[in-house]
Amino acid sequence: MKKINRRNFLKKAGLVSLGAVAGVQVGFGNTILRGKGAGSNELLIYVQLNGAMDGLNMVPPRTGANYSEYANVLRPVIHIPNTQSLALNGVAEFGLHPLATGMQSLFNANKLAIIHATGLMQANRSHFVSTALMEQGVQSTASNYGTGWITRYFESSETTPPNPVIPSLVPSYDNTDAILGDPAALVMGSSTEFSLNQGHWAWESAMQDTITQIFSNPVNTEDRVAAHTLNSSQVIQNIFDDVNNPYVPENGAVYPTGYFGNQTKAVARMYKANVDLEVAYIQTGGWDTHVNQGTGITGQFADLVKELSDGLNALYLDLTASNAGKFTIIVQSEFGRRAYENTDQGTDHGYGNPMFVVGDNVNGGFYGQFPGLTPAELFEGDDVAVTTDYRHVVTEVLMRRMKNRYLGHVFPGYNNYSPLGIVTGNDLVPDYNFELDRIFNSGFE
Amino acid sequence: MNTVKRKYHNRPEMNLADKFNAPIGMEKSKTANKASIPLNHKSLDFSPSIIPTPSLIHRVLTKMGYGSTPDLIAHIQTLSGVTDNDKILSYIDEQLNPSLIDDSVVDALLTHGYQTLNKTRTQLFQDHYRRPDGVEIPWDFHVLPGFETFYATCVRGTQSNKQLLEVMADFWHNHFNVYMDADGIPPMFVHYDRDIIRPDALGNFRSMLEGVTKATCMLDYLGNAYNHKDQPNENYAREILELHTISAENYFGHMNPADVPVDLQGRKTGYVEADVQEMARALTGWSYSGADYEPNATGEFLYRDSWHDKGDKTVMGNIYSFNAATPESDVLEILDYLAEHPATNEFLAKKLCKRFISDNPPQSIIDAVKTTLHNNWQASNQIQLAMETLLKSNEFLTTWGEKIKRPFERVMSAMRQIGYSYDFDPTLNMSDDHFWAFYNSGHMPFYWTSPNGYPDVKSHWLGSSSMMATWRYIQMISQWHVNYDENLPNYNDILNITLNQFPNPLDRTANNIVDYWFERACGLPPDTVMKEKLTDFMSYLDYTNPVVSNKDIPIDFSVEDWPSYNQERLFAVVSTIFLTSEFNYR
Repeated sequence: MKKINRRNFLKKAGLVSLGAVAGVQVGFGNTILRGKGAGSNELLIYVQLNGAMDGLNMVPPRTGANYSEYANVLRPVIHIPNTQSLALNGVAEFGLHPLATGMQSLFNANKLAIIHATGLMQANRSHFVSTALMEQGVQSTASNYGTGWITRYFESSETTPPNPVIPSLVPSYDNTDAILGDPAALVMGSSTEFSLNQGHWAWESAMQDTITQIFSNPVNTEDRVAAHTLNSSQVIQNIFDDVNNPYVPENGAVYPTGYFGNQTKAVARMYKANVDLEVAYIQTGGWDTHVNQGTGITGQFADLVKELSDGLNALYLDLTASNAGKFTIIVQSEFGRRAYENTDQGTDHGYGNPMFVVGDNVNGGFYGQFPGLTPAELFEGDDVAVTTDYRHVVTEVLMRRMKNRYLGHVFPGYNNYSPLGIVTGNDLVPDYNFELDRIFNSGFE
Repeated sequence: MNTVKRKYHNRPEMNLADKFNAPIGMEKSKTANKASIPLNHKSLDFSPSIIPTPSLIHRVLTKMGYGSTPDLIAHIQTLSGVTDNDKILSYIDEQLNPSLIDDSVVDALLTHGYQTLNKTRTQLFQDHYRRPDGVEIPWDFHVLPGFETFYATCVRGTQSNKQLLEVMADFWHNHFNVYMDADGIPPMFVHYDRDIIRPDALGNFRSMLEGVTKATCMLDYLGNAYNHKDQPNENYAREILELHTISAENYFGHMNPADVPVDLQGRKTGYVEADVQEMARALTGWSYSGADYEPNATGEFLYRDSWHDKGDKTVMGNIYSFNAATPESDVLEILDYLAEHPATNEFLAKKLCKRFISDNPPQSIIDAVKTTLHNNWQASNQIQLAMETLLKSNEFLTTWGEKIKRPFERVMSAMRQIGYSYDFDPTLNMSDDHFWAFYNSGHMPFYWTSPNGYPDVKSHWLGSSSMMATWRYIQMISQWHVNYDENLPNYNDILNITLNQFPNPLDRTANNIVDYWFERACGLPPDTVMKEKLTDFMSYLDYTNPVVSNKDIPIDFSVEDWPSYNQERLFAVVSTIFLTSEFNYR
C-alpha cells in the first residue's frame, strides 16, 4: 500500500487546513456564523440502530403490572424473565437485557441515562419513512429542506472552528440523510480503503496529484465532494497508519470484534487525532427482528445487544481517559417494536422506544414516563406509546453540550425546548426560527 | 395514559409526500423557502450545475444505457433518418424492441463457467435451496445462482446491445427490491431475475406485480410465505402498498378508512393502516412449496388453503370475497385494483422520470408517462409504450447533467469506454474481486438490504466513501491483467484503441491523446485547465521525476520500461478522465 508522502501531508493538513485546500465551506455560512472564535472540542456521537431495536427486551420491565403484562400477555415466549434481566442500582421497575453488562456498569456508574418511550410525534411504522424523518430532522416528509439535521447543526454552529479538517465522520459504507447536503461530511467505510492506491505503482502518485489539481478549484457540489475526498484521504492515511502510529485504546478499553466495534474505535481514533471532529454518526443495522429474534442470552437480538453494549462501554472508557467530559453519546432507533410478539418468535413494527445517553456529563438514571402495557395504555392497542418527543433529548445535548441554540434551524418546526435534565450544562436562549439571523436574534437591531 | 396519544395522534398525517423524493435542488422547495433562507446559506445546492452539454447522441446513450462506445455511435449513424435527431429516434425504437436485437456476443459469454442460468424454478430449489434427499448443500453452491445473476448482469451491462433493457431490469429490480444475500434468496435469484423481472421490464406492470407476489424470493424476503391467518404478517402487505403501488405519498396513517377522500371515479385516493392489515389477511396462505418444510418441495408458488383467511377483506374501500372455486381471486382482484389505480401509475411515472431525466422531473413529463401507463394498464407492452413517451420527450432529449452516474453505472460506462474484455466467469477469483469492488462502492447490484431499493438521487451518491471506492475500482480495471499475470494482456484495450485511432506514430502526442480520450469519454473537448493537467501527466517521461515535457512530441508506446512506463502512464491518464465530474454526469 502506498504510504502517504509526509511532506505533502504536512503541506495539506498541517499548515493549510483541509477546508482551505478543498475550498469546502463547512456549515455554509461560516464567515458570518463564526462566533466566539475559540474552537470547542466537544464531541457528539450519535448511534442510529437501524431496523427498529426492540426496546421492551432491551430495557425489560421487572415488576408489577408492566411485568405481568409483558411476560404473560404480550410476550409469553420471548420475554426476558426478571430472573435474567440485569438489575440496575436504585431501580426496581426496569432492568437491562442480560447481555447488556457494559451498559449496566455505565448506568451504575451514573454515566448512562435511559429515556422511556421516545419517538417521532406521529406514528409511522415504515422504517424508511421514520428513518428519513429522523435523519432529516423533520416530522413530516412534506417538509423537506434538502439538508440533514447534522448539516444544519453545522450551518448554525458558533463553536465549530473555521475550516475544520474533518468536522464530521460517518464510519460506514452507507450514506445517511443526516448529512444530506454537506460535502464536508466524511463517509468512511474503511480507512485502509480510503486511498487512491489501486493503479500501477509507477504512476499512482502522479495520478493522485493530477486529479487533485483538477479538483483544486471546485465550482460545484460534485467537485467539492471530490476535493474533500482527496484531501481527507491523505489525513486518514496518516491517522490510521497502523505501522507508524498504532492505536492503543486507553483505560483498558476492549472494543468488540465486528463492525460496530470497528466503527466506535474509528471514531475514538479520529477524535484523538485532533482533526476537529465534532459529530460522529454511527449507523448499525440488523435490529429488524421479525422472525426468531431469540430469547434471553441467545439469538440475533442478544448478539446485537452484546455488541452494542460492549461497544458503548469501550468507547466510553477509551474516550474518558484523556477526554473526560468532552463527549456525549446518544443512542436511538427509528421506532420500537410491537408490544405483542408474533407467531414467528419475533416482533413487528411498533412505536415508542427508549433512548440512551452516555457521557461524563450525564446525570445517570431513568427519564420520561413509561406509558404502560395494558391494552388501554398501548398505542392503538398494539405498541408502547410515545411520551417524550425524541427531539427534547437531542436538543438538550445540542444546547447544553454543543452550545448550539438554533433549535428551529436544526429541527424545523420544533418550538418547545424541554430539557429533562439528562446532561449538565447551561441553557442558552433557544432560537426556534428556521431562518438564521444572528444579528437580529441577538437583539442587535 | 392516553394523553400523549390524544395530543399527538388523533389527527392522522395527511397525504405524505414521497420521502425518497429528496427535494434536492427542487425548484419547488427553493421557491417555497426562498423568503426564509438568506442567500449566503445557499452555497450548497444540488441543482444542476451549469455545465457544457455534449452531443445528442452522447447524451442519449449515457442516459438510457450504460454509456457510449465508438461502435454504438457508428451503428447509430447507419440508422434511418437524416439528422442526428432522426437517427437517435430510430435507435430508441430499436431499443424499445429488445427481442429483435442480436445479442449473440453476450449469449456466448454467458456460457463461460455459468451453470445455473438455465435451470427451472424447481431445479434451482432442489439443487441449491433444499435437496429432496435432505443432503446438505455446500454454501458456495447454495448461493451460486445469486452470484451468477450478478456476474451475468455485469456481462450484459458492458457488452449487451440491449442497453435499455438492462437499465429497465435494474430499475424494476430496485422497485421490487429483494436483497440478494438475505436468507434463502440466492438459490432462487435466477428465477426472480429471469422469469419475473426481465420478461416484463418493458412489458406489463400488473403481470410483474403478480409474478413478484408469487416469487420464492419475495415470499422469503418479506416473509409472506409464512403469512398465516392465525397471525397475519404485515410485512409484504405493507410494502406492496407503500413501495410497489399506491406509495407512501398516499398513506393516510391511522385515519378511519371511511374518511379517506375519494376521487371522481369513487376510488379511495390513498390507503390507511387498516388497509395494510386487510391486505395482510388477503395474502395469508400465499406461500411456496417448501416454506412449511414439506418433503419433495419444489419452491414453486403454493396457495395454502388452510392458512388462508376466507373472510371478506376490505381494501381501500372495496370488499373482496373469497371464492372456493378460484381461491386466489381475492388477491388477484386486489392486484388489479392496485395496478389500475392512478396513484400507482403516478408513482411509477415519477420514478421512471427520476431515473431517466432528473431528480426533480417536470410535472409535464410525469403526467405524460402516467397517462400512457394508465391508459394501457392491461396492455402486454404497457411499459414499452410508457418508455416511448418518456424517451422521445423533450424533457428527456434536451436535458443533461441533472443526474450523476451511480457507482455501478460509472464503472460500467468506464468498462465500455476501455473495451474491458473480462468475461465475469463465476468460477474465477477475479470475479470475486469485481464483487467486492462493487460492494465497497456501496452499489453492488441486488445488495440494497431494504425493500425500497437503491436511492436514485444525486445527494445520496455524493459521499466521499462511495466516491473513493468507485475511483479505486476504476484504477483496478485500468491495470488488471489476465489471471493477475503481468506477462499476460490487460483486460483493458486502451493501448490498441489509441494506436488504431492514431495509425501514424507521429500523431501519438500528449495533446492528441488527451483530446481524443476526453472527448470519447465525456462527449465534449476538455476545458483549458483539464487539458493542461491531463497533458502534463501524459507528457511525463520519468515517474521518479515527473516534469512536463513537449506535448507535441510523439510517444513511443512500444517502450514500456523503467522509468517511463509509457503504456501504464497511458492507462493512468485515461483512467484519470473517468474520475472527473465531466465523466460522471448523465
